[in-house]
Amino acid sequence: MIYDCLIIGGGISGLTCGIRCSAAGLNCAILSSGMSSLHFSSGSIDLMGYDGDHRVVYEPFEYLESFIASHPRHPYAKCGTSGIRDALFFFRDQLSAEDLELYNNEEKNHFHVSALGTLKPTYFSQRSVFNEKVRLAFQKRSKIAVLNFSGYRDFHPALAISNLRKNRFFSDIEIVTGNILFPDYGSIEKNPFEFRSIDIARIFDTEKFLEDIAGQIRREAQDAEFASLPAFIGINNYKRHHQLLQQLTGLLIYEIPTLPPSILGMRIDNALKSRFAALGGVYIAGDTVTGGAIENGMITHITTKNNGASPVRASQYVLATGSFFSGGLISDAGGMREPIFNLKADFDAERRQWHSPSLFAPKGHPFLEYGVATDESLHPVTQDGDTVKNLYCTGALLSGCNPVREGCGGGSAVATGYHAAEIILTHTGKKHDKA
Amino acid sequence: MIKLENISFDHCIKCTVCTIYCPVARATHHFPGPKQSGPDTERLRIKNPNLLDESLKYCTNCKRCEIACPSNVKIADIIQSSKWKYFKKRFRLRDYFLARTDLMGSAATLVSPIVNFFTGLYPVKLALDIFFKIPSKRTFPKYAQGTFRRWYKKQHTAQTAYKRRVVYFHGCYVNYNNHQLGKDVIRVLNAMNIGVILPKEKCCGVPLIANGYITKARKNARYNIASLRGELEMESGEKIVTASSSCAFALKYEYPNLIELDNSAIFNDLEYITRYIYTRFEQGDIPAMKPIPMRVAYHSPCHLERMGGVPYTIEVLKKIPGLDLHILHSECCGIAGTYGFKKEYYNVSQKIGDELFGRIERVQPDYVISDCETCKWQIEMSTPYKVLHPVTVLAMSLAQH
Repeated sequence: MIYDCLIIGGGISGLTCGIRCSAAGLNCAILSSGMSSLHFSSGSIDLMGYDGDHRVVYEPFEYLESFIASHPRHPYAKCGTSGIRDALFFFRDQLSAEDLELYNNEEKNHFHVSALGTLKPTYFSQRSVFNEKVRLAFQKRSKIAVLNFSGYRDFHPALAISNLRKNRFFSDIEIVTGNILFPDYGSIEKNPFEFRSIDIARIFDTEKFLEDIAGQIRREAQDAEFASLPAFIGINNYKRHHQLLQQLTGLLIYEIPTLPPSILGMRIDNALKSRFAALGGVYIAGDTVTGGAIENGMITHITTKNNGASPVRASQYVLATGSFFSGGLISDAGGMREPIFNLKADFDAERRQWHSPSLFAPKGHPFLEYGVATDESLHPVTQDGDTVKNLYCTGALLSGCNPVREGCGGGSAVATGYHAAEIILTHTGKKHDKA
Repeated sequence: MIKLENISFDHCIKCTVCTIYCPVARATHHFPGPKQSGPDTERLRIKNPNLLDESLKYCTNCKRCEIACPSNVKIADIIQSSKWKYFKKRFRLRDYFLARTDLMGSAATLVSPIVNFFTGLYPVKLALDIFFKIPSKRTFPKYAQGTFRRWYKKQHTAQTAYKRRVVYFHGCYVNYNNHQLGKDVIRVLNAMNIGVILPKEKCCGVPLIANGYITKARKNARYNIASLRGELEMESGEKIVTASSSCAFALKYEYPNLIELDNSAIFNDLEYITRYIYTRFEQGDIPAMKPIPMRVAYHSPCHLERMGGVPYTIEVLKKIPGLDLHILHSECCGIAGTYGFKKEYYNVSQKIGDELFGRIERVQPDYVISDCETCKWQIEMSTPYKVLHPVTVLAMSLAQH
């Protein structure tokens, strides 16, 4: 097959890049091997959460100006502050075209609550996680009810609450907890203790028990103004269910991301894929790239498991295969490598330097910063030191970024995916066609 | 004992992503989902086969779990092989006949008008429902008169005259039910100056595997591998092609992965038809086509998805002038071969398909296009639309006819 642009990796970064390229009229395909990290994510998009001393960053764009100046190797430095801004708002508009709205606290970060009851600074969230009403209710120090469904094992309100209470933001807020019994508890054929978020989300999507559940929420929330549920109020019709639940209960309904599968993340994944397809992009799922040939600093073709001996070609290639978890980087006793093209990677030869002794060390773990080294235009380098001119690396694969310590995983995936697309479009003379 | 080369269940990180994309788990709570039926309980079954859970019979082997898995676990293969490894062998006449598409076909095509007449009668369907547990609501595929191979005999000499030739694995459906599809394959390939040779073949094994007749499936597979390899060499064919997506999937992937046979003798030479046609198109070998102004909805079969064959069909269809192509969001139709012909799964099968049927209805096409014969049966039975094979659509657009 021959494409203008072939993207290896179908996660948030690859899809952002694919949507930008397709919107400008390129014939674009994404090859993906298994579902992406969005299924494990919070469903919020972090931009820059923490500074070098692990203090929360409140104004991320302002902070980025100085951060980029002092961190020239960071992926953000390759995009520039205005590039990052363009990318994030392009991303928001594309999701909005698919009826998924993201909310931001203007120039500031806001917090979302994790399943353990910790607060995470982030930039974009879905309506059930952050919007103006949520912000005002929090400012009023309104009473909060943290609710769960009986039998659901992937969220523990008591644990979440005990952590929330330790937080100074919540010291003067009353928090209560309660349990909702599934209305069909007795007749459901399956053991409710095997329910995962996806099972309950599907039941929500049928809209069968909404009124009953709303009644229980009202009762269990006592006189709270806020009621939080684990995030599974629907995959397809979540907006309608969220609205209906708020109408029926008269409460603000808040969603807390659960253990995987993350319904909040899946909504973004669905919207991005649907947008990419609507723009004419081809998403090839369940194939694995087995190798690629590089001649004179250019990729001539790649091979995949499903295509066997016949090569897949494109004029531009994007590598957005993620970090260790997604298989974009592989580590073994001898070190680490990028498995498809064997690109040059940055890492510490001394294995003991890879991690900090404490799991929750404020300075994080160095191995999370390891990855493929690129130039300003996101071009990587082979082991022989040759720049690969028609290959762009984006997302968690890149070195120089510590998504956990800095709180910037989503933002750098979106920004570098978009940045790669912009460079490709400049090359192909399509720069000014926008969707 | 655990075979050390087959411990892919150990790579499962319990993320449950497979269950999200499982069409059966979406349709019924009776199926606990691929994660639990596959990697979770496989370790229990290895330890003690009595811990086998009946619910894994709900799996349709659509392979969507394997496409979704981020950790490359062969989930559907684990479930399939557990079905025939651990369940007690019980003879069921219904399953015996459902699994033997070639035996049924050879018999039925001799007296096809009678067979078609009777299988369309409600009292007969009711009797099949009561005695054989074949749902009376299911529409049976019609049998053709005589076999495709018989028709082909007179074509053979003309086909060998082409310089470029392919070996065509037609499968049971073309041989016994739909000769026209086989004729279309020949017409399209001939229009591209490619001759079509039929090898000796037996059923690819898909229905045998699904019904647990593994020994028979292996026997057929060995025969097919040898016959296809032999024919390819003897006729110096360029490729082996098949126009049935599930046959292609079985020949290429179920042989080595599930019934553990070495098919390297044919692996690289075997292609699903649209991929072969696409490759020829790429070389500039495009037949003259006239515009066919039709609004069509394309449904991608699960097994073609798993093989990565869908983009090729789409690209080939895009080359047909005048075709108003609407690509349906990838959903399982629910029939899963013989699964939808069993009373115990009929309702689940239809419920799985509902999502797809609704999407087709919203497009309101003149025709639906799909690569798989059982998807065709399911869609034609459950919606008002007729389903065409992509090669048939290509044949319709050939200019000189």
